[in-house]
Amino acid sequence: MINPIKKIFALLEYDFSESGKFAKLGPLFDATKTFFFLPSPKSKLEPFIRDHLDLKRYMSIVIISLLPVLFFGIYNTGYQSGLARGETLDFWTSFLSGAWVVIPIIIVSYGVGFFWEILFAAIRRHPISEGFLVTGMLFPLTLPPTIPLWQVAMGISFGVVIGKEIFGGTGRNILNPALTARAFVFFSYPVSMSGNIWVAGADAVDGITGATALAVNAEGGSGLFSTLSNQGFSLSNLFFGFVPGSIGETSALCCLIGAVFLMVTRIGNYRIILGGIAGLVITAILFYFLPGTKGTWADAGPLYHLCAGGFLFGISFMATDPVSAPGTNPGRWVFGFLIGFLTVILRVANPAFAEGVMLAILFMNVFAPLLDHLVMKHRISKRIPNV
Amino acid sequence: MEKIALSKGFKLKLSGMPDTSVIHLPRPATVGVCALDIPHIRPKLLVKEKDRVKTGTPLFCDKRDTGIQYVSPGTGTVKKILFGKRRRLLEVVITLEGMDDFVQFDPVSAKDLSQIPAQKLADHLKQGGVWQFLRQLPARDTADSATAPPLIIVCLNGNDIFSPHPGLVLQDNIRQFAFGLSMLKRFSDRVIVAARTDSLALLAPAKHLITLQVPDTYPAWDPGAILYHIKKEAKENAAWYIGVQDLVRMAQFLETGRYPFDTMVTVTRGSDKKPHMITRQGSQVRLLAGNFSPGSLITTGQLNGRIKDPDAHLGFFENTLNIIPDAPGDEMFGFIRPGLNKPTVSKAFLSSLVGRKVQMDCTMHGEERACINCSYCENICPVDLMPSFIMKALVSDDIEEALELGLLDCCRCGLCSFTCPSKIELARILSLGMDAHHKDTQG
Repeated sequence: MINPIKKIFALLEYDFSESGKFAKLGPLFDATKTFFFLPSPKSKLEPFIRDHLDLKRYMSIVIISLLPVLFFGIYNTGYQSGLARGETLDFWTSFLSGAWVVIPIIIVSYGVGFFWEILFAAIRRHPISEGFLVTGMLFPLTLPPTIPLWQVAMGISFGVVIGKEIFGGTGRNILNPALTARAFVFFSYPVSMSGNIWVAGADAVDGITGATALAVNAEGGSGLFSTLSNQGFSLSNLFFGFVPGSIGETSALCCLIGAVFLMVTRIGNYRIILGGIAGLVITAILFYFLPGTKGTWADAGPLYHLCAGGFLFGISFMATDPVSAPGTNPGRWVFGFLIGFLTVILRVANPAFAEGVMLAILFMNVFAPLLDHLVMKHRISKRIPNV
Repeated sequence: MEKIALSKGFKLKLSGMPDTSVIHLPRPATVGVCALDIPHIRPKLLVKEKDRVKTGTPLFCDKRDTGIQYVSPGTGTVKKILFGKRRRLLEVVITLEGMDDFVQFDPVSAKDLSQIPAQKLADHLKQGGVWQFLRQLPARDTADSATAPPLIIVCLNGNDIFSPHPGLVLQDNIRQFAFGLSMLKRFSDRVIVAARTDSLALLAPAKHLITLQVPDTYPAWDPGAILYHIKKEAKENAAWYIGVQDLVRMAQFLETGRYPFDTMVTVTRGSDKKPHMITRQGSQVRLLAGNFSPGSLITTGQLNGRIKDPDAHLGFFENTLNIIPDAPGDEMFGFIRPGLNKPTVSKAFLSSLVGRKVQMDCTMHGEERACINCSYCENICPVDLMPSFIMKALVSDDIEEALELGLLDCCRCGLCSFTCPSKIELARILSLGMDAHHKDTQG
């Protein structure tokens, strides 16, 4: 028996082929078809057996690793907006009201992003790369739930076109496209990206503080931790994620689950993640011992730095993008470490930005080729020459 | 016996190991001498169709050095000379007669061997059509008899994981093998005999001749991989190497003065356990392979061989046939299934938790995409190359950088292409780069 979906594709195949009436939309047809049926053409060149891992599987694993963060983000968005109105919502109400806010953002991100992908694929006559599945999901998760949808569209357009396609498409971009998109929104629409924005539906309510944990400094005589605690940012809340913030970044636990999944499946490079955590911890400890920082984030210590803000999200899902990270293993350690280091530096030493991980990763993206170059020079010097 | 370690390489367990029994196949109706598995050759034909040839009559030679000639492995008439595109020589096919009529050369005894000058010995081997069994790294071209090699590697195991077992090749030929080794000593003081750990049990009678034990991980027994792991200085790069069967046949030629046409082959398929077969060099693939399902590929090495047409004849250096089945068909939502039955060297399928033996199919399991820098190729490369970086250097025509990165250390094992999730033909791109460089340096 022929699979009915296969039948539909067989019927439509001609219209989307080179000589068909929708030839320009060929890549879209191709992407849809291969989504349903994994293509496996015969090997023509040696080796004649090939591993089962392909880019579709590769990117699917990243998407799976993002599911805990996504679902928790949806739930927390609803939960926080309930809190802002003074109600404590049960699980399903929170989840549904969160979904009402988050799903449209994701749909816009995927929809507009795919438009650009298909456009470039049609003009360049190459298949649509699976990499966008991840970009289109990562970008919304870095946004506050109150973001206007048109800004989501602008951001993802910038990320895909300027961040990736003008460099030649997937595999050739220097910066992580999702972070490029976020940086664009961050700098172009600062009003939507700072201040009282972290809780969906909160603008209807007066008198709530809208800041994230990283924007908090010690008040009066009390220390940083008690001030944080008073505002709902106890360490356990930060760890589990019941705090306001960007959709996907609040829960350190869910980020860690995703990170472990990525490391176990070897899709995310453990060197980047562990190097990054080491960099953050060591730098945070150094600042902790610096005198005269009482009451600020310099005094917060490694645990708070790990759990607050988007560091774990960034290092697990953004920094591990293989294209914009270094391609050599020592380079990856250094890359990760410096992201952790720069994140703390930006957080504590730069009053302009409360959060530093986005800029740290983008900055290190730019340096990734240099790191590779140095590692390669070193490796060449170690080899017995053969020319 | 020294040992080398190999941390990378092919860790999957494939099914299809041939049985260790040996059978003799009857004389085939036709034999062919195939020119396609001889690297870099520019063949010049020396016979015409319908010519009668003896066993040992030269059929074609290499234009670059006409002394190197490829001779007929049987007595009969030249039935057909097959050409490919641009008149590229494919095969010279010979219809065999009932009896062998040899081109006779003077035998060389063990005593003669120590007195005859190396250059004369090389010429003698060239006339007999067996010199080209000796090959030279890194391009794997025919060994250059005008230079003395820094070392010679004798590879007891063949190119494929299931190539003929050296224990079986040597079981009746230990004396010839030892004779062959003493002949190699005439060309270089340093002769390394390398065997897979797995093969050692059956190799017990020849144990005193083995000098290097290599791990069981493909391609640890490949001459390029061996050289990479034992070399200490750059001048060793030009090492020669020879396969065990080829060395035995060289020795047989010296002893008898006749062209030795028998060769041992294996035919592997996941479900089979076929015996090792002794047949004539250049037997027809169809005769050896038996029945196979339509759509399957027949190759002379699953990871580094060539596709063989069933009507073609086994090549000069080839002694393995793998029958690789086709995939069952498109799989719905294949990318998201748990994949218990999807063999992989990655950790992205559940199959990676189960260590059972697997049969791979002959399909790509995906489509070509851009390189995403994932380092899977680097993680598997047995000679510590970074294939993705070399590929990028080659694609942008920067041969200098590719060479610096170690291109010529590549042992053409094919593992980078095997593992690439973007399905980039890394092994082929690197091979073409090496071949182009070799052509350039030849002037």
